[in-house]
Amino acid sequence: MRRRIPEWFVLLMPAFIVIAAVVLIPLIFSLYSSFTPYKLTRPSTLWTWIGERNYERILTDWKFWAAFGRTILFLTIALNLELIFGLGIALMVNKVTWGQRTLRTVLMFPMMFSPILVGFQFKFIFNDNVGLVNNVLQSLGSDAALPWLVDGKLAMFSILFAEIWMSTSVFAILILAGLFAMPRDPLEAAKVDGCTPWQSFRHITLPFLMPFIYIAMTIRSLDVARAYDIVQIMTGGGPARRTELLWTLMSRTGYVDAKMGLANAMGYVSILLSIAFTIYFFRKLSAARAELGMGA
Amino acid sequence: MTEVTLSNVIKRYGEHQAVHGIDLEIRDGEFVVLVGPSGCGKSTTLRMIAGLEDISGGEVSIGGRVVNDLPPRERNISMVFQNYALYPHMCVRENLGFSLHIAKRPESEITSAVNEAAAILGLEELMDRKPAALSGGQRQRVAMGRAIVRHPDVFLFDEPLSNLDAKLRTQMRVEIKKLHQKVGNTIIYVTHDQVEAMTLADRIVLMRDGHIVQVGTPLELFNAPVNTFVATFIGSPPMNLLDGVVTENRTVRLIDGQELPIPSSPRESVQPGQKVKYGFRADNLSPVGHGVSDEGETADIALRIDLSEPLGTETLLFATLASTEIQCKMLNPRPVTSGETMTCRLALEKAHIFDAQTTQVIRSN
Amino acid sequence: MDRNQAHRNRRRMLKGLHFVGLFLVMSIICIPGLWIILNSFRPTVEIMAKPPVWNPSFTLDHYRAMFGGAGQGGVPVFSYLWNSIVISVTSTGIAVLIGMSGGYAFARYKFSGKSGYFVGLMLFRAVPGVALSLPLFIVFAKVGIIDTHFGLILVYVAMNVPFTIWLTDGFFRQIPKELHEAAEIDGCTRWQAFWKVEFPVARSGVASAAIFAFLTSWNEFALASQLTRSVGSKTMPVGLLDFTAEFTINWGGMCALAVLMILPALILTFIVQKHLIAGLTFGGVKG
Ligand SMILES: Nc1ncnc2c1ncn2[C@@H]1O[C@H](COP(=O)(O)OP(=O)(O)O)[C@@H](O)[C@H]1O
Ligand SMILES: [Mg+2]
Repeated sequence: MRRRIPEWFVLLMPAFIVIAAVVLIPLIFSLYSSFTPYKLTRPSTLWTWIGERNYERILTDWKFWAAFGRTILFLTIALNLELIFGLGIALMVNKVTWGQRTLRTVLMFPMMFSPILVGFQFKFIFNDNVGLVNNVLQSLGSDAALPWLVDGKLAMFSILFAEIWMSTSVFAILILAGLFAMPRDPLEAAKVDGCTPWQSFRHITLPFLMPFIYIAMTIRSLDVARAYDIVQIMTGGGPARRTELLWTLMSRTGYVDAKMGLANAMGYVSILLSIAFTIYFFRKLSAARAELGMGA
Repeated sequence: MTEVTLSNVIKRYGEHQAVHGIDLEIRDGEFVVLVGPSGCGKSTTLRMIAGLEDISGGEVSIGGRVVNDLPPRERNISMVFQNYALYPHMCVRENLGFSLHIAKRPESEITSAVNEAAAILGLEELMDRKPAALSGGQRQRVAMGRAIVRHPDVFLFDEPLSNLDAKLRTQMRVEIKKLHQKVGNTIIYVTHDQVEAMTLADRIVLMRDGHIVQVGTPLELFNAPVNTFVATFIGSPPMNLLDGVVTENRTVRLIDGQELPIPSSPRESVQPGQKVKYGFRADNLSPVGHGVSDEGETADIALRIDLSEPLGTETLLFATLASTEIQCKMLNPRPVTSGETMTCRLALEKAHIFDAQTTQVIRSN
Repeated sequence: MDRNQAHRNRRRMLKGLHFVGLFLVMSIICIPGLWIILNSFRPTVEIMAKPPVWNPSFTLDHYRAMFGGAGQGGVPVFSYLWNSIVISVTSTGIAVLIGMSGGYAFARYKFSGKSGYFVGLMLFRAVPGVALSLPLFIVFAKVGIIDTHFGLILVYVAMNVPFTIWLTDGFFRQIPKELHEAAEIDGCTRWQAFWKVEFPVARSGVASAAIFAFLTSWNEFALASQLTRSVGSKTMPVGLLDFTAEFTINWGGMCALAVLMILPALILTFIVQKHLIAGLTFGGVKG
């Protein structure tokens, strides 16, 4: 018997190679450098091993913890609102009897926007001087120009708004696809059995939609960090670090302060965060699938 | 020339063995049907012949040539799949001609071969349609057309009719049989439906759990089942089987104490005290004067009828005998009321005795 | 009769609410984009006017400046556009080939630890661009492919492969494997069976996977902003920043570039939107 390399492995080989070359190796390098005081300006520092001192440093730094906490809070709020809005929009569009295709097309609109473009767009719209929002407010008679991107709380709101604007459509579209795929009989049976609309939504529609919701969540979790683009262009983490997220802090530490070792340590924290999100939703997805008996 | 021979063919999926050493010789031009309950390894066997599954052990040869390691394209076979597997992006004409195009035959030859196949199957009107625009029966026909276009040595069918409704199934069954008579190739046909097996086959191969149970013509399997499994699988309604014990005076005492005489052929082969199953078909038990004739050995049984199903030329009667539900047939039927007691006559020569332990039939030799 | 009336009123009210809600949602989705388009055609003085001017005038100045090359501000839009096109198209092509091969492996072969490999691949997609850009910046600088088309193409291929695998896996799984088998019996080699049967059948799905990959490359910022430096390799999302100076922003010019960026994405997405949705859901649900 000759032992061949299995075909599936050959087929996956190019994917493994390119990912190893571009992602895995740099990540190993960055893991190493996170244990050094590496500074771009002094290359020799790459060879000084300082153990877990970078991690110690970030873990005792309140600025890091503030950014970390804000990132978690930001993601929690954003993902939840995106889900709720997405669900609401999908239900509304599903009820429409006329022009549904057009509405669905419009829904896809934000998906094509580059995050950087979304950031810029809302930087423009929320601009305190020439922005659409303030222009409208002023024309309606309010005289104070609201400092949308300058005040800490308002800036956070603006960023959240941009993020939600960009990502809700993924949820809306996938949930809508779920609603389209939904069999009618159970709903009609429930109606005949005397369920109120809320009850049939709660006990029939929602469980059926769960896998679709988790797909959306999983897809979304693959890309949580693109909020970086938005924040970077809208506020750059300011004012006075009030909108600093993990990613902007890391980029500042690495590129502005040139402390690569330290930045890589933060990078690892952010990677673990992303991976945790992704694995969590993958788990939920397979659990939901198993429950509905949709394949292994 | 195109015999298909399987010797000790085995299929393992990891730990699980799906086919346990099958030996089978299929003659040139023969129509062989592999039949058995779902999961018994019919498709696996067929797919090993086609080259779609690796063969874990044994040897498959087609036309005298061992093909174990040949890919499907070098076996000169064609196959009709249960879900037809028509190429959805090609129209009927392209579907039919695909194999010839792959073989790089000249265009004129392809055209005439495709037209010939289309004529045989009555597909001329549909040549430019895509499979999505065809009905189930039409798809079925295209799938068969695709199979005959290249004049293969062997046709393989894997449950080709099971996605059709009952009426169309009967109709296509006839067409497949006609097709076989027209082209005369060796056909290996897989189905779980014993009616298809009975009506189509020159020879039936009945399988269970990866083993061959019995091979023979439809009538051989019907009239001389080797065990209770064959007896209940082949024929509709299935053979009635009653538990009993052989007595000193060569009768079978049923569990309610009633005794039935043992037919002559196994009479000398049974031992008193042996636990057996007494089997007979519904056709061989009927109310006196309504079917079973008086010729040959017979036995009369009084039956209380639970239910009757008039079918027109005959009525199927359901009764309980020795706590077992049995069926019998009434020819030239008259109306029957439930609860009525009738004397029924059993044609003893058509009855079978099976050993209760081994389920094998007991016959004199 | 009263109860009927009550139900009727209720239904009418719900209908009104439904309409208002939809209208609001659609407005919020559309207005920002329309605002950008509108402003790309307004003269700068009008954009900056205080109090705001509501009935817009029309000018092509921003587009003229943009395509006029160096003009004022001197943003080399053509170079950026060219870089974006080269990098996005090439990386999409390669990523689709590699991803399709991987997706096919997941859809058609059985092997132990399959779902582990799958999730593992996806996790590489989840690595934040910023976090990856730090070490990539150093490694690419060492290898000497920083600030080149090649470097960015390589990155985008790696970035797009996992999700392309997800999508194509879903599409290939929808194709019954009997189709491949029928092709093999009809005389195809496995390679022929794939290209003559499975690929054409999955074509629209592969196209939508390609669009996703293209959009990701076309829109990516975090990595591009660190791995490109010069006019020779900067892409449009990075170029957008050229319009911002320390304290002033050329809003009109930026809007014009934004329109240029969104247009190809818009067109491509509309072409395949149906398959896009099918691909996403099938890839995920029929796991
Ligand atoms: N790819 C496979 N992997 C593991 N087991 C299989 C596979 N294909 C079939 N089997 C098993 O082999 C047995 C026979 O299957 P099959 O030949 O398809 O049965 P059928 O007689 O219904 O056509 C079944 O128990 C089935 O579960
Ligand atoms: Mg089968």
